Amino acid sequence: MTTSIVPQLIVSGALMGLVYALVAYGFQLTFATSKSINFGQGELVMVSAFFSLTLTKVGFPYWLMIPGGLLFGVLLGLFVERAAVRLALEQKSEGWVLLTIILGLFFFSAAENIWGRDDQPFPTPISANAIQVFGVSITPLEISVAVGVLAIMGLIELFKRMTLLGKAFEAVSSDRDAAELMGVSARRTIMLSYGLSGLSAAVAGILVSPITTVGPTMASVLVLKAFSVAVVAGLDSGFGVVLVGLVLGALEGLTSFYVGSGWREAPGLVLLILALAVRPSGVFGKAVIRKV
Amino acid sequence: MVKRLFFIHGAELLVFVLLASVPLVVINPFALGLLTLLAIYGILLIGLDVTVGYLGQINLAQAAFLGLGAYASGLTVTHFGLGMVSALFVSLLTGLVFGAVIAFPALRLEGPQFALATLSFSALVATTLNEWESVTHGAQGLSLVRPPFFGVNLAAQGFYWLCLVLLAIVWMGMHNLLNSQWGRTFEALRDSPIATDAMGIGTFRHRVAAFALGSALGGLAGGLYAFNFQYLQPQIFVWELMVILLLGVVLGGRKSLWGAFVGAAFIVLLPNLLSNRILFQIFSLFGLLTALAAGGRSYFRKTIRPFQAIAPIVAMGLLVVVAFTVQNIEDLRRAIFALMLFSVVVGLPEGLMGFAARFLSKLFRIAPAALSEPAPLDRVLVKKAADPSPLLELRELKRNFGGVRAVDGVSLVVRSGQVHGLIGPNGSGKSTLVNVISGLYAPSGGTMLLRGRPLPVGSLFNAARTGISRTFQNLQIFSELTALDNVMVAMKDTYHKPLPLVLFGLARGEERCSQSGALALLELVGLRDEARTPAKDLPYGAQRLLEIARALACHPDLLILDEPAAGVAHPDVRKLVEIIRNIHRIGITTILIEHHMDVVSELCDVVTVLDGGLVIAEGRPEEVKRHPKVIAAYLGASA
Amino acid sequence: MLIVDKLYAGYGLSEVLVGTSLQVKAGTLVALIGPNGAGKSTTMRAISGLIKPTKGQVLLDNKPVQGMDASQIARLGLAHVPEGRRVFGPLSTEDNLLLGGYRRLPRFFGFRKKAVRDLERVYELFPRLQERRRQAAGTLSGGEQQMLAIGRALMADPKVILMDEPSMGLAPVIVEEVFATIQRLKETGIPLLLVEQIIKRALEVADYVYVMEHGRVVIQGSPAELRKNERVIAAYLG
Repeated sequence: MTTSIVPQLIVSGALMGLVYALVAYGFQLTFATSKSINFGQGELVMVSAFFSLTLTKVGFPYWLMIPGGLLFGVLLGLFVERAAVRLALEQKSEGWVLLTIILGLFFFSAAENIWGRDDQPFPTPISANAIQVFGVSITPLEISVAVGVLAIMGLIELFKRMTLLGKAFEAVSSDRDAAELMGVSARRTIMLSYGLSGLSAAVAGILVSPITTVGPTMASVLVLKAFSVAVVAGLDSGFGVVLVGLVLGALEGLTSFYVGSGWREAPGLVLLILALAVRPSGVFGKAVIRKV
Repeated sequence: MVKRLFFIHGAELLVFVLLASVPLVVINPFALGLLTLLAIYGILLIGLDVTVGYLGQINLAQAAFLGLGAYASGLTVTHFGLGMVSALFVSLLTGLVFGAVIAFPALRLEGPQFALATLSFSALVATTLNEWESVTHGAQGLSLVRPPFFGVNLAAQGFYWLCLVLLAIVWMGMHNLLNSQWGRTFEALRDSPIATDAMGIGTFRHRVAAFALGSALGGLAGGLYAFNFQYLQPQIFVWELMVILLLGVVLGGRKSLWGAFVGAAFIVLLPNLLSNRILFQIFSLFGLLTALAAGGRSYFRKTIRPFQAIAPIVAMGLLVVVAFTVQNIEDLRRAIFALMLFSVVVGLPEGLMGFAARFLSKLFRIAPAALSEPAPLDRVLVKKAADPSPLLELRELKRNFGGVRAVDGVSLVVRSGQVHGLIGPNGSGKSTLVNVISGLYAPSGGTMLLRGRPLPVGSLFNAARTGISRTFQNLQIFSELTALDNVMVAMKDTYHKPLPLVLFGLARGEERCSQSGALALLELVGLRDEARTPAKDLPYGAQRLLEIARALACHPDLLILDEPAAGVAHPDVRKLVEIIRNIHRIGITTILIEHHMDVVSELCDVVTVLDGGLVIAEGRPEEVKRHPKVIAAYLGASA
Repeated sequence: MLIVDKLYAGYGLSEVLVGTSLQVKAGTLVALIGPNGAGKSTTMRAISGLIKPTKGQVLLDNKPVQGMDASQIARLGLAHVPEGRRVFGPLSTEDNLLLGGYRRLPRFFGFRKKAVRDLERVYELFPRLQERRRQAAGTLSGGEQQMLAIGRALMADPKVILMDEPSMGLAPVIVEEVFATIQRLKETGIPLLLVEQIIKRALEVADYVYVMEHGRVVIQGSPAELRKNERVIAAYLG
């Protein structure tokens, strides 16, 4: 029994790691267009998860709740852009760092008071009964996490490649001024990127809540772990984050078992510090040819 | 002079005396506790302000340093029985060491990454304090007994005075530090790290020093914190505390010792504010009125965007709603902090002290200290003997950007004492060439020799240290500093006194020396009367001249001027020509990139013409102007 | 038809344009020449909205557009081919062209069908682009990128085309091709404003010429008049 623990830990952990990958993907979206990210993204995941939970409690069936939860996520993302990011971008400052942090704190406190401090279970029609796959027991619920993450990332990538609006998104990421000259509004594109980022946060919340339960603290350290993934995987590789997320998740699973559950967060944090030390350009500064 | 000294130091002295005498007059242990905490948070916020205010970075690790210092001193007292002074020294050292260690990876990063790195560090510290139960007793908490101070057991009163004295020492030390070259450098780093490197001032090492200083103070505050409460729990030193600290610094006012003090007072009174409903209601109404007044005023004066006026009003309005409708305000603590911090960051970014300073300076006109006399110019810029030997030699220098060969094998010689012009059509590689010489880019091939020895490559800092100085096509002045400070910061050769002497205010002589030298340079460029004007308020032409004065402050062997006349109005161009001529007379070798042909003809001994990354002509200005290849490059080949 | 009336604009504290005025009538090619630093590119950017003018007017078919966002002005039919070409490197040649037609094409689906005819026209003008239609634009040569940038502008079916230093960084043989293309563009009748460093080329292809110096127009006239004007030559070589 003990010998099969390691693969078990790795697989279970890795599946959780996909959630980090999804949040990291959300970061890539907003960073590509605006060179900014939402430091309070963890709270966004948590609030949309709570909202989705409320939807099920007022009678929405699971599959109807999903579009409702996703829409809410999009709206939250747009709110973050308007309230915390736009001003700083217009002033060409980095004030959005502090402002998104503040907004995250506000959401945290609001959630605590609206929904309470306790962790609550999240209902799902997907079975939580373990099945055996290659000697490792996985639940369909965990598999749904993988499916959901890959599906949403795939859909957004399809959008970027197949629609003109998606191409405009890439254009703004590549050269903002030139895109404006084509008639593409950079401001609206940035709004779109934050909306999509909110969407991915909502998806992450819905996917992970049945497993981890919903609570105010569920995603407080999520930002940092998603960052580790984004920094290590690099900006451009949309699916590189998946790989790195899997690895980090596996590491966390092993750490939690062998070192202690309280130390679970440590690999992600250490990884981030190391990644920033070794790759200072990481997420925020590809070796840009400085213009003086 | 006396009036100025009295005003600046009088206020501080008065407050100190008042605070020190409180325990003699008021017998209220609760009040005493608050004041002790005020002193401790004062030290903590002064430390935080070094990175947040002076360096302009969002430092999210200060609460972690507080925790580290607290646990370090607590543990040394419990396990090794150290006295208070030694334990405090340990906590200071803990903060310093951890700060330096985290500074190395963190400070090569720009804003958001830096915030991330400090945030991770903070989370890691919190986890470790919580989980390493064998050492820290984890969530159960660590009890300790206040150690004796030189053998004397300090009661509440005595401990309070100790904290107050430490605050005073930290205050004075920081005051001296921030008014010295160190303070100037910190601000310069924030405004333009490229320019500080180019002036030979180590950006990285100064940032690390600033951060370590802030973290050391955080550690010291931690030690005092531990001895104040005599009980530590990991749950204290968490995210929420960090947000409160940021709130204190931003609300009080960045870049200001008084701001840190006001912020600390606010933090100390915060719990009382939240527990007393009536007080909170009054506070929130006051906040709303302020937001309306300030926002309305600035909006109608069109000094700010609508969002900056409306958002704080909405946030404060929300606060009022909370104050009057919510039963238990404590539950919404974090939301309240968030609303307050949001309003201040968006609506009052300069904080209370910044806001007050404008009023105070209008009410009390304090004449600034008189400037010293400018030193004689020949002492600042030593006239160099005429020497026709080559100073700079470039051999087949290349620089590629991907497939584009911006500089494609350029060879030239710049002789000492000459003004060497560098011209060519747009995209010919002139700027790239000087960027390679000055170290902004590393060459892709070829060699560069300065006085026969290889030039350090790829580092603005190293090139500057070798004697190359430059101005920039896109201005890189230190906008928040005065014109005088811009030049003084670059006079790095005058600052020799070690840090401890600076802290004790014993480096004034250096300052005066540097000041008179800087004034001489300002006079050279005609900006002596603008010495006290912030650089951002100078007209564009004057800013260009300021950059030249700053570049000269490094006593360069080679001065590179990158399109100094670009965007400058015609009368100012004449001034510029005169100044460059004077520089020439002193004998400083200059490379001049310019488009104004009349300027080039007047000033240059030799002109090199580039096109497509290659030298197409070289010689005296009149020869070059008639050269067929040059005419072709500018006008198009004659059929 | 494009009218620029006493335009003032700059960057930060630096005021580069101090009262520039010019006109581009339908069916004409107007050249804007002058020494470096005179403000030619700044004029282009102030017209297309990349920088906002502080004073003065820009009228596109008699509609004032100064102060609008660049994307708004582009959607009104002003196509700016920027200095340095600025193609979207990671996107394919064809995608770049499709983006050129952004203002006229459906945003989500069906855009390829609607753009077929416009694409055909551009490929007819630039067969090399058709060969490389699926290649990433960043891998194209300098000359091909210039063609692509011009093709992008045409996809918008613009009312006015601004072209900023199309010859910059290109080999002389390629410059020939570019100017042949510009000549063909002239024949379509679209008003063209051309900033060009190589004076000879500019004078050959223009119907009217403005010379800028120190942020304003100092001389204007037909190419023939300017060729005789000594001051023009002097402005370049002191």
